[in-house]
Amino acid sequence: MREYRFERPGTVTEAVRRSGSDTAYLAGGTTLVDLMKLEVMTPGRVLDINRLPLRGLDATGGGLRIGALERMTDVAADPRVRLGYPMLSQALELSASGQLRNMASIGGNLLQRTRCGYFRDVSMPCNKRQPGSGCPAIRGENRMHAVLGTSDSCVATHPSDLAVALAALDARVQLQGRDGVRTVNLCDFYLLPADTPHLEHDLRPGELVTGVIVPRLDWAQRSIYLKIRDRQSYEFALSSAAVAIRREGDTIVEARVAVGGMGTRPWRLPAVERALAGRPATSNTYAAAATATVDGTRPLRHNAFKPELMQRTLIRALLELEQTR
Amino acid sequence: MTVSPIGREIDRVDGPLKVTGSAPYAADYRPEGLVYAYLVQATVGRGTVRGMDVSRAEAAPGVIAVFTPFHPLPLKSPSGESGENYSALQDTAVRFRGQIIGLVVADTFERARDAAALVSADYTVTPSRTSLADAGPGVPQGLVQKLAPGVSSIDAALASSPVTITTSVSQHAHHHIAMEPHATTAVWVDDQLTVYCGAQSPQRAAATIAARLGVEPAKVRLICRYTGGGFGQRSPVWNEALLCAAAARALRRPVKLVLSREQVFTAIGHRAAVRQTIRLGAEADGRLRALSHDSDGELPAAGGWQMMPGRDTSAVAYRTPNIRIDQRLVTLDTPPTWSMRAPAEAPGMFALETAMDELAVRTGVDPVELRLRNYATEDPVEGHPFSSKYLDECYRVGAERFGWSRRTALPRSQTDGDWLIGMGMASALYPAWRQPASARARFRDDGRVAVASATSDVGTGAFTMLAVVGADELGLPVSSIAAEVGDSALPPGGVGAYGSSVTTSTVPAVQAACRAAVKALVQSAVDNPRSPFAGLAPATVRYRQGRIEANGRSVDFRTLLRTMGVPHVEAVSTSAPDKSASQYKFHCFGAHFCEVRVHRLTGEPRVNRFTSVFDVGRVVNAKAARGQLTGAIIWGIGHALLEADPIEPDGRFAAASMADYLVPVHADTPEIDVHWLDRPDPHISEFGARGLGEIGLVSSAAAIGNAVFNATGIRVHDLPITIDKLL
Ligand SMILES: Cc1cc2nc3c(=O)[nH]c(=O)nc-3n(C[C@H](O)[C@H](O)[C@H](O)COP(=O)(O)OP(=O)(O)OC[C@H]3O[C@@H](n4cnc5c(N)ncnc54)[C@H](O)[C@@H]3O)c2cc1C
Ligand code: SF4
Repeated sequence: MREYRFERPGTVTEAVRRSGSDTAYLAGGTTLVDLMKLEVMTPGRVLDINRLPLRGLDATGGGLRIGALERMTDVAADPRVRLGYPMLSQALELSASGQLRNMASIGGNLLQRTRCGYFRDVSMPCNKRQPGSGCPAIRGENRMHAVLGTSDSCVATHPSDLAVALAALDARVQLQGRDGVRTVNLCDFYLLPADTPHLEHDLRPGELVTGVIVPRLDWAQRSIYLKIRDRQSYEFALSSAAVAIRREGDTIVEARVAVGGMGTRPWRLPAVERALAGRPATSNTYAAAATATVDGTRPLRHNAFKPELMQRTLIRALLELEQTR
Repeated sequence: MTVSPIGREIDRVDGPLKVTGSAPYAADYRPEGLVYAYLVQATVGRGTVRGMDVSRAEAAPGVIAVFTPFHPLPLKSPSGESGENYSALQDTAVRFRGQIIGLVVADTFERARDAAALVSADYTVTPSRTSLADAGPGVPQGLVQKLAPGVSSIDAALASSPVTITTSVSQHAHHHIAMEPHATTAVWVDDQLTVYCGAQSPQRAAATIAARLGVEPAKVRLICRYTGGGFGQRSPVWNEALLCAAAARALRRPVKLVLSREQVFTAIGHRAAVRQTIRLGAEADGRLRALSHDSDGELPAAGGWQMMPGRDTSAVAYRTPNIRIDQRLVTLDTPPTWSMRAPAEAPGMFALETAMDELAVRTGVDPVELRLRNYATEDPVEGHPFSSKYLDECYRVGAERFGWSRRTALPRSQTDGDWLIGMGMASALYPAWRQPASARARFRDDGRVAVASATSDVGTGAFTMLAVVGADELGLPVSSIAAEVGDSALPPGGVGAYGSSVTTSTVPAVQAACRAAVKALVQSAVDNPRSPFAGLAPATVRYRQGRIEANGRSVDFRTLLRTMGVPHVEAVSTSAPDKSASQYKFHCFGAHFCEVRVHRLTGEPRVNRFTSVFDVGRVVNAKAARGQLTGAIIWGIGHALLEADPIEPDGRFAAASMADYLVPVHADTPEIDVHWLDRPDPHISEFGARGLGEIGLVSSAAAIGNAVFNATGIRVHDLPITIDKLL
């Protein structure tokens, strides 16, 4: 860890004003401090944002507005989230561990960095950490890496479970910077690596995530987040699926589908949604729709099983969703 | 009347200290003037260090010294058994990625760590050999062969067998990652060194440190009163601890060196990667005619432990007229290896018991019945009878407790919703080993008896074992015994905490020491003029439950010692196996039964329940025994389903951190029903304990793999058994 200056701004404007190229915001610190210890992130100044008024979960008028500093534990436990958007609660509760969820914030969760082992090891090259240095994962140990949205520069998976569920829900991210506030769609907020894998978000210098908006979706009451991993708990997704279904009788009217563990960013699957809509809710429909997932996948040496696992994860999620209520 | 504590549920005597954080571990010592060291490790797989730039590190705040191959700390070369075959910083060769090439010392830990990151090195790189899979057969080491009369070769025996099975399995490197990261605090006072450092064998470790520093053995004392896990990783002394002691000598002040979690993965030895092939030849009814076990184990060029997985497994397990064990070692440019809990037995029995399951499937014989048909009552190679073997009873009791009769042999025939259910079993064995051992018993005038042995409690319960055995022998409550271990200054002859041998070896020594101490107490009672028993013949004085009695007088030992003005009376005894022991083969046995579930779509393998029954001789402390056996079975879950550290072509371990190297968590750990037969071994010692620290791990992975096959019809030979292999 490098020496750094530690500051605790009291207002959002002050925080934004004080931030510069060499600063990092500190929320729960579960990503930041970890990566500082590994010297992957070496900010000269750390701005602790925990005093900022970015808490609160608001559901008035339908939908949700979640403050960026809300803790994962609290959001997962909130009855409005549990009942109205079960996939959000589930995605959060299947993440990390109890201790981490008590510390980790929603804003920090969306901005957590990839778990690629080369990214986390400063003795190795990595285009994301050190632009232009190369990507050892493409030919190296890449079992956990992405098959969607990859480039010849980077194949790192986006690790957040929450972001997958939020992608399915058309969530928007609220930002505040020196030039004021703006709101972007979560899916657009994440950038594809292309040849600039070090640029991960549509975030302007100094911009703060202030909150997340989940638009009202009544039928999200019937939703699920399914996470598949080698270890039963305390591990990132090898594969995951966030699914919501609106049914009339036995017919699927509308669907929301996103997958995790597969893409360089949380991955929404509109083709699968289309393939489900208007069809009977049967396992045949699910299997047929799931085949649409493999379009455009680019498997690597050790993760060739992922497209198949993605289909199966999706089918299982659809089947399990059918069994809820 | 005191009730004997032997075999009861006894709480750890050191438990309160540990849960309150007041048990001092190596890094908890803070001597006056302490400074902190941090390692610099090579980032290339093989070659030489051409030069190093330490100027930025030296200029960093608080830095006291930077040692490198160009500014080394003197260390002698290792001789004899040692984890590594070289001393760090003595030359510029890089033998593996992660080798120590520097040591930064500063006034705080953080400053040392941060300065270490400022050291840069220039290398000449030569290609590394790291892949065991690509290496081809290794160099044969220990060939064990027995052929029936008239049989020309194992291949001939196999060729003439009605049924043959060939099974090849492999596993990557495993890491011990004990709870306590490796840490050393070294303090010199004049020419006398005290090292606080976790060690499985304090006296051997102290001797190694003395030899490598080039000082008299008597000048080094090693203290490891509390050690946060060993598993083999703390039996040798690694270069890091030696450098710490050498730095303290050079700087003339105490130095502490604590490794980061990540550093432990490379600076300290791991379990060697190994490939194995089992070939079985059998009759149609499953009776074995031939067993061949070939292995190729990783042997680092930098030194390490020899992976010989056939010797104590396939050469012992089943009655077989023809056996051939060919154990080969492949030299690679990998970090050093060392023994790791059931070091060769866990991989060896995974191979054998997987093959046996395949034989059961092929012959249609029930897996338990197959093992009974091949039951060995004597060592199949040497012909010695087993000292005591009730494995058949383990099978019977285990099958009963588990409900084995409900298993269906056909894969994929049992389900629970979308989960495929499978049941599997495997037999376990582990050599029992009694070493010569010493102990000291000391009646103290504070009313307690100190029972000491220079072994180590690596979390296994050795403290409690000494207290229980001492209490039993002396007729005192367990709380009246003060147990001491983990100090090289205790009487010579303490055993190392490895090979599941501490209890087996030390119990007889403690019993002997207690008896001798009683004798000494009686002698002093009759000799000491201030004693109420002065002048009596020793034979008329007797000791009973802490009291000295004669002529109708009875005095407790505390009062007696105080009356005599003697602070303590003690005796040291050693105890060694009988000569007659060489007639027997000593082994522990067990039978594992487990049920798994595998999701029919997404393929996650999960363990539902485990039942294991062991024949381990007499048990000292039921609670500690259950802890050891259960913990080892959980290791088996890791072995089967999670643990693996693949190595990359440049010698980099791909999963060298706890984020990437997965071990079981609670959610992976089901109900584990552990049971043991109460069958003291009549030949190993009067007490009859055979040791149980490792056997739980042996074959638990095979039982899981066999259950996964029963669930899915898929046989996974390359561990771990992960989702991608079950889709
Ligand atoms: C062992 C372990 C296991 C984990 N397992 C999972 C898992 O299974 N699934 C999962 O989804 N996650 C997992 N995580 C990741 C965890 O969820 C994230 O670390 C956490 O959510 C980050 O939140 P934080 O508040 O601690 O962020 P911090 O560490 O404080 O910040 C993370 C990053 O975001 C920036 N930042 C934080 N808040 C803001 C803001 N409001 N505006 C702008 N920038 C900001 C910081 O500067 C930093 O770069 C795991 C983490 C660990 C350590
Ligand atoms: S995959 Fe991306 S993060 Fe990983 S090494 Fe390559 S560039 Fe770096």
